[in-house]
Amino acid sequence: MRWHIPRLALTLLIMAPVATVGYAQADLPMPRHYVEDYADLVNPADEQSLNGILQELEQKTGAQYIVLTVLTTAGLPIEQFAIELAEKWKLGQKGKDNGMLFVLAKNDRTWRFEVGYGLEGFVTDQYCGRVGREVLVPHLRRGDYSQGIYQANVQIAQRIASESGVALGDTPRIQPVPVRDSRRGLPCCAALPTLLLLLLVFGGFGRGMGWWFLLPFMFGGFGGQGGYGRSGSFGGGSFGGGFGGFGGGMGGRFGGGGASGRW
Amino acid sequence: MRMSGNVWVVLIAIVAALALVALVAFIGFLWYASGYNKAISLEQGAEKAWADIDAALQRRLDLVPNLVNTVKGYAQHEKELFESIAKSREKYFQAGSRADKIEASNELTGFLSRLLMLQEQYPELKANESFRDLQVALEGTENRINVARIRYNEAAMQLNSYAKALFGSFFCKRAKVEPVAYFEATEQAKSQVPKVEF
Repeated sequence: MRWHIPRLALTLLIMAPVATVGYAQADLPMPRHYVEDYADLVNPADEQSLNGILQELEQKTGAQYIVLTVLTTAGLPIEQFAIELAEKWKLGQKGKDNGMLFVLAKNDRTWRFEVGYGLEGFVTDQYCGRVGREVLVPHLRRGDYSQGIYQANVQIAQRIASESGVALGDTPRIQPVPVRDSRRGLPCCAALPTLLLLLLVFGGFGRGMGWWFLLPFMFGGFGGQGGYGRSGSFGGGSFGGGFGGFGGGMGGRFGGGGASGRW
Repeated sequence: MRMSGNVWVVLIAIVAALALVALVAFIGFLWYASGYNKAISLEQGAEKAWADIDAALQRRLDLVPNLVNTVKGYAQHEKELFESIAKSREKYFQAGSRADKIEASNELTGFLSRLLMLQEQYPELKANESFRDLQVALEGTENRINVARIRYNEAAMQLNSYAKALFGSFFCKRAKVEPVAYFEATEQAKSQVPKVEF
């Protein structure tokens, strides 16, 4: 017994820095605009336009759609990077889970569409994969990041809007990617048991019993943007007077739907 | 005068003692109820997380026949692999316990990654549009499984550590809550490099 306590303390002392350094986690502050261009890939005109479209999307449908570019995910798989941020920011409305996150890591040459539970039914993995392959990647290969990011995300934003029966006002005409979905209904079914059990957990045991599993999301910490790199040109005044400001996530949940790829 | 004074003192002492006993019993009851409920809610959390895994695994199983059929059109020689996939799919359906399901699905993960690797040997397969869609769909389900797996393991860890804790183990026994199996992705499934035979 006598040996255990000093040894444990020693282990903890040695392990503590290892644990904090070794466990990489995606950590960026809550977005303040719909387009968060840390890698500085989108030109100001496209950025302003896309920002406006995504703001209109939220106003009309409630869907929260964030476009994020970074230089690197710092060794994390882009799938993990995307879902950790999407969860931390809680994109989408509570209960509707209509959040959407696009991530592009320039130096890793990877991209991902992360789709909230509520959008999985019509923004399917296959659809995201097609938009990625047919719209995004060809532009990226030509080095035209700005148009690639713009066109691909406008395309998906329009799909979300049309599913809610609204049109996005002054969106440019973009040739839509054909959608061939034989398994349209399936993703909804996949989310159903979750909803049922959520009801059970929240409803069955009274308030305050079921929400402990939200704790990991609550203590994420929004400080510090470690190493993803924002190049100098941000703040160049492309947003006049807080136009296109993003108000913060509304409690939407994600289950890993979407698609990712490399170029 | 003295007599009645003593009676009062005794009466007050009895009432105070009763109140104290009642208070202690009440606090004890609250403690018991919260410990008991915690065991139940932890079990429900793990149950819910498992349901998500189950849904994602089911989704993958639904995809497999389509995927195998598409690949078969280009790679008829890989009979052995197709049979292994069919077998481990069957194994999953027959699996009763969580541990068995986990084992079967890890096995399937390995075979499916080998199936996807076939595209390197069959360029026409790689160019096939519906194969690409299926590949995205499969990657999507694998990612969902992975997300659900991490969440389940978190829930399982909370439950299992409560079930081992000093009072937690007592409450878990009272509530008939058992520790649950973790869903470990096998190293073999993660790093299985398919054999390329020429």
